[in-house]
Amino acid sequence: MERFFELLIAAVLLAGLYSTMAYGLGLIYGVLRIVNLNHGGMIMAGAYAGWYLHHALGIDPYVSLLLVTAVAFGVGIVIYRGLVHRLPRGAAGGVQSLLLLFGVWLIVRNVAYLLFTGNDQTLRTSYSTKAIAVGGALLSVNRIAVFGVAVAILAILHLVLTRTYVGKAIRAVAQNPDSCTLVGIPVERIYALTFGLGTGLAAAAGLLGSTLFPFNPSFGAAELLKSFVVVVLGGLGSVAGTAIAALILALVEVFAILVIPAYLTAAVGFVLLVLVLVVRPGGLFGQRVLG
Amino acid sequence: MKLRLAPWIRPREAVGLLIVCAVLALAPLLHGNVYRHNLLTLTFIGIAAALAWNWLGGYLGQVSFGHAAMFGIGGFVTARVELSLGLPLVPAWIVGGVVAGLFALIWGHPTLRLRGPYFSIATIGVGEATRLVATYWDSFTGGSSGLSLPMQGNLKYTMYWYALVLAALALGASYALRRSPMGLALLAIKSDVDAASDVGVSATRLQDLVLFLSGSTIGVCGGFYASYFSYIEPGDMFGFDRSISWVLMGVIGGIGTIAGPALGAIIFVILRENLIAYYPQLYLGIYGLLLVLVILFEPLGLTGLFLRVFHRARPDLAVGGPVVEPPAATAAVSAPKTGEAK
Repeated sequence: MERFFELLIAAVLLAGLYSTMAYGLGLIYGVLRIVNLNHGGMIMAGAYAGWYLHHALGIDPYVSLLLVTAVAFGVGIVIYRGLVHRLPRGAAGGVQSLLLLFGVWLIVRNVAYLLFTGNDQTLRTSYSTKAIAVGGALLSVNRIAVFGVAVAILAILHLVLTRTYVGKAIRAVAQNPDSCTLVGIPVERIYALTFGLGTGLAAAAGLLGSTLFPFNPSFGAAELLKSFVVVVLGGLGSVAGTAIAALILALVEVFAILVIPAYLTAAVGFVLLVLVLVVRPGGLFGQRVLG
Repeated sequence: MKLRLAPWIRPREAVGLLIVCAVLALAPLLHGNVYRHNLLTLTFIGIAAALAWNWLGGYLGQVSFGHAAMFGIGGFVTARVELSLGLPLVPAWIVGGVVAGLFALIWGHPTLRLRGPYFSIATIGVGEATRLVATYWDSFTGGSSGLSLPMQGNLKYTMYWYALVLAALALGASYALRRSPMGLALLAIKSDVDAASDVGVSATRLQDLVLFLSGSTIGVCGGFYASYFSYIEPGDMFGFDRSISWVLMGVIGGIGTIAGPALGAIIFVILRENLIAYYPQLYLGIYGLLLVLVILFEPLGLTGLFLRVFHRARPDLAVGGPVVEPPAATAAVSAPKTGEAK
């Protein structure tokens, strides 16, 4: 029973990270109707950025989080303006954007490989091994911090999307870009902004993830898939839906360890994805567009 | 006796394919260069695999990043069938291919039903999950130490002709899948599934059929690869870069065109031999850069480039006949036009 509670708490803490990770992908897909296959690449880049800043300059990952997210936001805007923006929209553009962003991902991976080699890295801080006891279970301080930051990010996002003009514009564009043009919303700028936002979220999630897991240049592939599972489960852009879906994924993953061999846990997310696609292709809560 | 061809087959193109095959079939007797012989054999397999990838990725617009799963399954099933039942090569490849095709249906049937990019994302997962399971499934794949197959003396040399037949069959199938009435149905599904269903195209059946054909052909390629190298290992057979290489062949040659991926496979092999072999640490980046450049500047790849050059030289012969364009709008009009030409 005690083990049950430990796993439960572990799943909840993990779900925070998963929802931040997935929200970036869902935001871009919801607004631009493009799957950012470079999502995995940005997760990996965020992890390396946090690791490098800590390793070389001694900056705490939670301090560098803001900087890394801001830089990734800029990178996202550059990728949108320089590459994605040039593709046609609609059915043909869908395949092209997949292939294009996949190409970007391969390049990012190769750059990371050249800069940092293919070896696994871990981000170790002074508090990495600290734990506090909560109701008999030992909880890692770092995991709680990751959870707290992830929840804070989601809360801020939710406020931005529902309370600010820009947020409302983003949601409006997600619903109907043509009408937005009519009422004077700069749709292209909203697209660039959204792409930047999604990319920034991916990097932030990567940085947070780097404090928990070892990573190498191919880090991010499994995370992309997990993000997609969450997006499909939770519907597009709904913060609550994303959080619940992330929790489901985390619970399934964490408890799967009890029944299947460890090396198969990587396949759990995928099996869940196919099951969801078969049983509820519209997500658990129907198709909702942002908010 | 007069041979009657289906109306969609153009005799000139069929004869052209036969002549190219005949030349390639006789070529080894003339050049006698073993390195070139082996390179050509592998190129043929690349051509067959790239074409099979294109049936799904190009004709149906469902890009797969995980076709190595079927390649590996075809390879290992072939190897197991050869080892335990002692089947001869061709039946063993067919068994491997059929199993690979069925495997593709298991995960592809549900994910192909959905609109948008779900299928592509699922393929990334399929590729990874299959590779993991295969690596740890010692009793089937031999784990990371792999499987060895018995090698008969001259077999590797003769397999050139098997590979040529496989590539020719794949090219013929590519032609049939595009030009036959079914090709129109596939095009309709790619453009708009709902509209296609409304006019009586059975989207579900056709998508499954193409997926099975694509998966089983890749499976046969995997089986061939296993027999050819007589040693296979999960990490290599199921490798992610293998899946990417077919994507790249298709994109370089012209995604959705009949013979483009074959051309792409040839370019890819040349590229790999001359560039990537010297800079192995850069191969992913080179792949990625090529993808980005081709998609940005010539979405139909080499085929698009040829069409454009051809179009400029002899506008009367270009696809769709002579097009009179107002001079100022040329750039704006020609971009969507190449899109329609596929």
